[in-house]
Amino acid sequence: MTKRIAIVEDEAAIRENYADVLRTQGYQVQTYANRETATQAFNLRLPHLVILDIGLNDEYDGGFVLCQQLRAKSASLPIIFLTARDNDFDTVSGLRIGADDYLTKDISLPHLTARISALFRRQEAFKQPVNNNHITKTGSLTIDSQRMTITWQHKPIDLTITEFWLVHALAKHPGHVKNRSQLMTDSKIFVDDSTITSHIKRIRKKFISVDDNFDYIETVYGMGYRWLSEIDDKNIYSH
Amino acid sequence: MEINKRIQLRFGLRAKLLLLSSFLFVIPWFGYQYVWEMEKYLRFGQEQTLVGTARALATALHERENLFNNQASFLPNVEQGKDLYGYQLTEAIQLDGLHNDWPNFSQRAHFYNEQQKLFSGTSLNLNFKASVGKYDKYLYLFFQVVDKKVVFRGNNNRSIINNDHLALSFTDQNNKLNRFIISNKQAGWISAFSITDNADDIPQPAAHIQGHWLLTPQGYNIELRVPLATLGDKIAFAFFDVNESETKAISAIGSADPSQLNSLGTILVPSPEIERIVKGMRYTNSSIWVVDQHHRVLASAGSLKSASGVWRDTEKPASESEKNSLWYQFEQQILLPLYYKILTKPPTDFIDKLYDAGHLSGEHIVSALSGYAKSQWRLTTDKQALVLSAAYPIFINEQVQGAVIVEETTNGIRTLRNRALEKLFTVILAIMVLGALTFITFATRISSRIRHLSNQAEKAIDPQGRIIGAISPSTSRDEIGDLSRSFTTAVNRLSEYNHYLESMSARLSHELRTPIAVVKTSLENLALQINDNKESAYINRAQTGINTLNLILTNMSEATRLEQMLASTDKIDFDLLCVVSGCVAGYQQVYSDYTFNLHTIVKSLMLKGSPEHIVQLLDKVIHNAVEFSNDKVITIELNLPLNLNKNQAELMIHNNGVLLPKLLSENLFDSMVSLRTPVSLSQIKSKDKNHIEAKQEQPHLGLGLYIARLICQFHQGKISAKNHHSPNGVTIHISLPTKV
Repeated sequence: MTKRIAIVEDEAAIRENYADVLRTQGYQVQTYANRETATQAFNLRLPHLVILDIGLNDEYDGGFVLCQQLRAKSASLPIIFLTARDNDFDTVSGLRIGADDYLTKDISLPHLTARISALFRRQEAFKQPVNNNHITKTGSLTIDSQRMTITWQHKPIDLTITEFWLVHALAKHPGHVKNRSQLMTDSKIFVDDSTITSHIKRIRKKFISVDDNFDYIETVYGMGYRWLSEIDDKNIYSH
Repeated sequence: MEINKRIQLRFGLRAKLLLLSSFLFVIPWFGYQYVWEMEKYLRFGQEQTLVGTARALATALHERENLFNNQASFLPNVEQGKDLYGYQLTEAIQLDGLHNDWPNFSQRAHFYNEQQKLFSGTSLNLNFKASVGKYDKYLYLFFQVVDKKVVFRGNNNRSIINNDHLALSFTDQNNKLNRFIISNKQAGWISAFSITDNADDIPQPAAHIQGHWLLTPQGYNIELRVPLATLGDKIAFAFFDVNESETKAISAIGSADPSQLNSLGTILVPSPEIERIVKGMRYTNSSIWVVDQHHRVLASAGSLKSASGVWRDTEKPASESEKNSLWYQFEQQILLPLYYKILTKPPTDFIDKLYDAGHLSGEHIVSALSGYAKSQWRLTTDKQALVLSAAYPIFINEQVQGAVIVEETTNGIRTLRNRALEKLFTVILAIMVLGALTFITFATRISSRIRHLSNQAEKAIDPQGRIIGAISPSTSRDEIGDLSRSFTTAVNRLSEYNHYLESMSARLSHELRTPIAVVKTSLENLALQINDNKESAYINRAQTGINTLNLILTNMSEATRLEQMLASTDKIDFDLLCVVSGCVAGYQQVYSDYTFNLHTIVKSLMLKGSPEHIVQLLDKVIHNAVEFSNDKVITIELNLPLNLNKNQAELMIHNNGVLLPKLLSENLFDSMVSLRTPVSLSQIKSKDKNHIEAKQEQPHLGLGLYIARLICQFHQGKISAKNHHSPNGVTIHISLPTKV
């Protein structure tokens, strides 16, 4: 079954470019230029995935409003924010109201399509029984690469695709330092250093919310980050 | 120039206000003038009062002929030596032939010589001085005779005139002539004889004339007294000189011929009747004289020393309770001595010798005796006190027969003026002190407020013109408050504008992002559809370009994103040394061609802040240092300076290479400022081609050091850049407050 993707974007050129590339990927794409037409369409039928811009014509937060409406209709509908706004505040807001990912418009199309397909894969994986082949365990951390879920001490951590990729990249080789550009490549984003820093911070917070003593993502000053394995004494690596 | 400027600066508001307030000194000047005016009017008043007193007394004496009857007042003129004046003596006279109990004898005595001779022989070798005084009920006479040879009356001599003798004649109350001869056998008590015109009559001793005959080296003195009751108003005396015993007198000198009634001179003694009237006036605090038309004093009362006018007793002496008060003490001990450095106390002791006790002179008296009342001001002879004299004529039968002279010193007024000035000075002093204090307080308040405002304004804007703080607006409703509020508004607006400028790059990047996204997605779409190598080469180039553009935009908004991020960043405790050494190890890997030297003596350096951002700060500064290094050696020093504030961690990053231009080095850390031309950019390119390709050749926007500054500010630290020499290079100096 072809997946239906809805793009809500007020800039026609970008909208059509995205639509074109997704269509070539085999998706069925519907485009909406403003919130009203999108809302009308979504009231009739929900797509399988929605790509939202935040600012829609005159509505500064139109995307956020739409996201909230959609989330109210369906808890599982993947929603991606694709916006020119790259500040931390909008990112946090977007993710808080239920978006699955928050991307800036400088993301390359391959990265975008990779994410979309990842999101669909994850959805599919949830419909299938848990496959142990895709599960890697490192101490208290369990990574299901199929479902793109992570549990810490058997408690699920709700991560976005980007965040999942970041954790995955770090935890794959515990003890190895990953610098920022490596992390960017692994998480299929291209951002500046401080965005990586804030991503790591968000991930830490999410872990800490289930485990107050979580301290396994270490900042190696001047180089990058690494995942500390629980058996190792952290002090060996510290300066 | 500098000094001059400082002097100008010091002439601040306070000084100006003080200068202006010095116009207040006009008030005491006016007060002083006012007191002087007052004194003038008081003097005028005193003058009138004095003239009034004189007139009142004169009124009591007008047309009282009998008071002047037995005086010589009616004479058309008086002859010195012949017409005598009996001075009022203040003390009893001892009849001893010595004149030391006669006050002012030498001035009051009249000298008789040849001019007053009655007859003489070949040569005149006789002269004498005579003085007349009145005390109680007697008229005293003193004669100092110079005679080469004193010839006493022979012991058995019947004649009383064949020796040196004094002939004294006076009329009695009934104008009958009484003649006496003083003729002694020896020095001692005098022997007075009453004689008649008939030479054959036997002289009768006259016991009522008493006196003393004293021999002196020059001759002899005779001091005698006559009861006033026997005395009329005409008198004459004459000395007869005999050189050989038992011979007739060869010469005689005297006031008049004592043997003829008509030739007798007058004697004027202060009149008890007039004195009685005048005495009634002595309570007027004036010195009063009554003179006849020959300026001779008929009566006097009061002394000039106590005659200080009606204002004398207006001052009440302080009561005991007042004397004990602190204010009184202060006034007496501090204020009054101070005032009397300027003021003069009227002297209680002064000498006035203008008037002879028997004979008064002066323009006012002359005027009064010619019928016109007159008052005049004069100084005492020692110039210590100012005396006001008023003279008023006494009329009898429409003829001026005398004058009343009233004198007062202005001491009363001067005392009064001094009191007024004392009070004025005290009040002025109080006003000046209070006024000055008020002025100083006010000026200090104003100037401190203005200084506060100026300090605030200076603090609000740093030397580079950046807004670094807000001015808290004043709530006061005056002009300074307005100024403060205008400043606040101006600074706020400027701050907003600055912020607008600083965030412009971010907004610019945001605005550009959409069209770039259009180009980018279009190119990517194109790339997906075209497989031709030749065409894809162009597309690749276009994509490279658009990616670089995209990177530029990302960098442009990095500062803004960082600011937002910092605002929500929590500070944690971390070891700065750990971060720095970690970073240096990292840089050694990234920039493998370069040598990084870390010098530090500390073991650990705890800081409160965000280590990630410190890393970002180091990234920027090291990147900058690497870019401009020409010897590939970067030295990093981390220390806690001992001499300076111990709570400041000092981080220095040195690189040798191009110097900073001096003029703009201050602005180095501002947004979008790039001053140096990186020398080693090409080297980096050749060095790590792959890395550079991957990083799309980092564009230089001058945002790196701006970001470094933002992070420093977040940690309440400071960042500065200085040139260092031999070898030339730049040191970035970062100081961060350590956790206290």
